[in-house]
Amino acid sequence: MKTFSLYVPRDSLIHRINPIDKILYTITAIAVPLILPSMAASFLCMLISLSLLAAARVVRQSLPVFAFVFLILCTVVLIQGWFYPGNQTPLFGVEPFVFHAEGLMKACRIGIRVTNVVAAFLLLVLTTKPADLVEELVRRGLSPRIGYVLDSIFQILPQMMNTTRTILDAQRSRGLETEGSLWVRVKAFLPLIVPVVMSSLIHAKERALALEVRGLHFEGQRTWLREKRTYPYSREIRGGLLLVLTASIVWRILG
Amino acid sequence: MSKIRVEHLKYRYPSSEKLALDDLSFEVDEGEMIGIIGRNGAGKSTLCQAFVGLVPHFYRGAYGGKVVVSGLEVLKSSVSQLARRVGIVFQNPFTQVTGSKWTVYEEVAFGLENLGVPRKEMIDRIDYALQLLGMEKYRDRHPFDLSGGQMQRMAIASVIALQPEILVLDEPTSQLDPQGSEEVFRAVHRLREEGMTVILAEHNMEKIARYCNRVMLLDGGKIIDFASPASVFSRADLTRYGVVPPVYTRVCRELNAKREGSPHFPVTLEEACEVLKGR
Amino acid sequence: MMQRSSWFRFSTPSLVLIPVAVGINYIGKLFAGTLKLPLWLDSIGTVLAGMLAGPAIGALSGAINNVIYGLTVDPISFVYGLTSILIGLVSGIMASRGWITGWARALVVGLAVGLTATAVSTPLNVWFWGGQTGNFWGDALFAVVLAQTGSVWLASFLDEVVVDIPDKLLTVLVAYALFRSLPKGIKQLYSGRDELETLDG
Ligand SMILES: Nc1ncnc2c1ncn2[C@@H]1O[C@H](COP(=O)(O)OP(=O)(O)OP(=O)(O)O)[C@@H](O)[C@H]1O
Ligand SMILES: [Mg+2]
Repeated sequence: MKTFSLYVPRDSLIHRINPIDKILYTITAIAVPLILPSMAASFLCMLISLSLLAAARVVRQSLPVFAFVFLILCTVVLIQGWFYPGNQTPLFGVEPFVFHAEGLMKACRIGIRVTNVVAAFLLLVLTTKPADLVEELVRRGLSPRIGYVLDSIFQILPQMMNTTRTILDAQRSRGLETEGSLWVRVKAFLPLIVPVVMSSLIHAKERALALEVRGLHFEGQRTWLREKRTYPYSREIRGGLLLVLTASIVWRILG
Repeated sequence: MSKIRVEHLKYRYPSSEKLALDDLSFEVDEGEMIGIIGRNGAGKSTLCQAFVGLVPHFYRGAYGGKVVVSGLEVLKSSVSQLARRVGIVFQNPFTQVTGSKWTVYEEVAFGLENLGVPRKEMIDRIDYALQLLGMEKYRDRHPFDLSGGQMQRMAIASVIALQPEILVLDEPTSQLDPQGSEEVFRAVHRLREEGMTVILAEHNMEKIARYCNRVMLLDGGKIIDFASPASVFSRADLTRYGVVPPVYTRVCRELNAKREGSPHFPVTLEEACEVLKGR
Repeated sequence: MMQRSSWFRFSTPSLVLIPVAVGINYIGKLFAGTLKLPLWLDSIGTVLAGMLAGPAIGALSGAINNVIYGLTVDPISFVYGLTSILIGLVSGIMASRGWITGWARALVVGLAVGLTATAVSTPLNVWFWGGQTGNFWGDALFAVVLAQTGSVWLASFLDEVVVDIPDKLLTVLVAYALFRSLPKGIKQLYSGRDELETLDG
């Protein structure tokens, strides 16, 4: 079965950390630069997230995402460098495309923020098996029914995509035009999507029946086939993150 | 003691004007295997779902009369409560896979986890169910990597693990190849030997004749007949209800070969051979 | 026994609608790519879920969509989760208030959803990208307006409007077309309003 997530199996300490602690880390890494809007704070958070990615040995897998981000950041550099409203100090270039110091500074700040946010999310996404994340959330009080929905998406989505490809190929071999003017292509869209939606909804109804008779609607206490896992350093991580958050709030108020 | 008691059951789907089930009354005893037959749209699936509470709790609509299974009144019980007394297996093996589990073993555990069965007992029950259905060698496979027949046996195992007293099968083999179909029927046969009461809706009349001790003929949501396979399949008006009797019955009817001292034609290969050899 | 409020007690059909909604979102995006349409079309499922099963399921589909998209394709989608939630919420609320009874009204829903998406995404864009959206044509407009007026918010708003309004209009119209083509038996499963009638006596 093809997996359908960005998760990279590795044997690193970060992989063994409780998924919830990783969520808490992600929130902290994004919140601290919001609380302390200095470039140094953002930069520090970014560095920590990036080195954690390295520690988890998933740098190579994060490159495609960073490459995409980098592409947009290039346009940010151009646009802010040229047109940032606070621009005063021209550096180089010809009118009207003159790069200014203030704009480049602004672009730099945006770049650091974006990299920090993306790295913080990537740390969670690349090192956490989705099923473990869901199980831990349900054990912490997320409704098991929502847990089921999250779990099942990882298998139902690839199936729907397969159905879609089959239908796409069938419609094409029947002469449906997927090339041509914009209007032709827009018109091609509905006959493609209607059969997929129809069959998916019928399957969903049948699946709902099967889930009902397997007690998905049961109100009482549920149990688990898997024994509860123990994760290392949970107390320390939570304590540390709380400390960092409190410290930055205090700093903000006093500073 | 009757396992199932149905009194004046009437049911109408919410988006429909006509009754899908129209005043049904009957009883089923412990250990029986009942076949339900009838044309497309006769009401077989609706009746099957009325035993497990999906009719009316899942669809809502309009409901009348009373269905009691293993002492629980369906109208007053939740589908989850009923799931411990009566299990159901549907037609399409794919849509019965939950899609949230990565091995057959975990898949069978799904219902037990939901119903809060303690972990130790869960493991015993899964092992038993997999073994009974001949699925233990696939326990670590991915549920979608099974053949249709194996998937359907996994669905039965998932239901059996909940330890129901009654098993309802709604055309369990209509989407399977002959080999998969044979696997499923052998598994059902084993369950009967364990004392399970079985209800089977099915279009394959040879299978009904071979495995069921009584047959219910439905048409337009009404019971036309509810008797032994020999008696139902010997009816001269069967085709009017969209049912073609087993091939053995058709041959013997052409030859007018009845069992000695019986008003009915043979319905299985063995009976037909016996009667034809005796002539 | 713990009893949660009924708002959170979704029926099983509504719950299994959510994976389908997320799947439709993916497929819309796939088709938009395959057919090289200059739009995203990645929230058709969220809107359809709102139309079929109401605002709560619509919003939940939106949230789960972005979580899953973030876990499987692009972590930046976590940032825009709020936009998705409001898309599902608004289409669900308008559908349940009788705004999907014809094409003209569906057009209004499309506008409302587009404006909502713009209103939520613009501040997120300003915070995250300094105002851009990452869409080529939108960002070109952003550059021009920023150069002319010097207002990041106006530029960002227009950047978002030119992309989001046509996209959400088409998204809602496609979702409405799908909604209309569904058989009554399927739609009824999600309405969740019907009482059980009795045929006794
Ligand atoms: N969800 C539904 N909503 C409205 N009407 C329905 C629904 N399901 C079935 N019906 C109708 O109820 C009647 C009985 O259908 P049912 O599915 O029980 O027949 P069946 O005997 O199982 O047929 P088949 O052999 O095709 O499986 C039919 O007229 C059918 O159209
Ligand atoms: Mg049927």
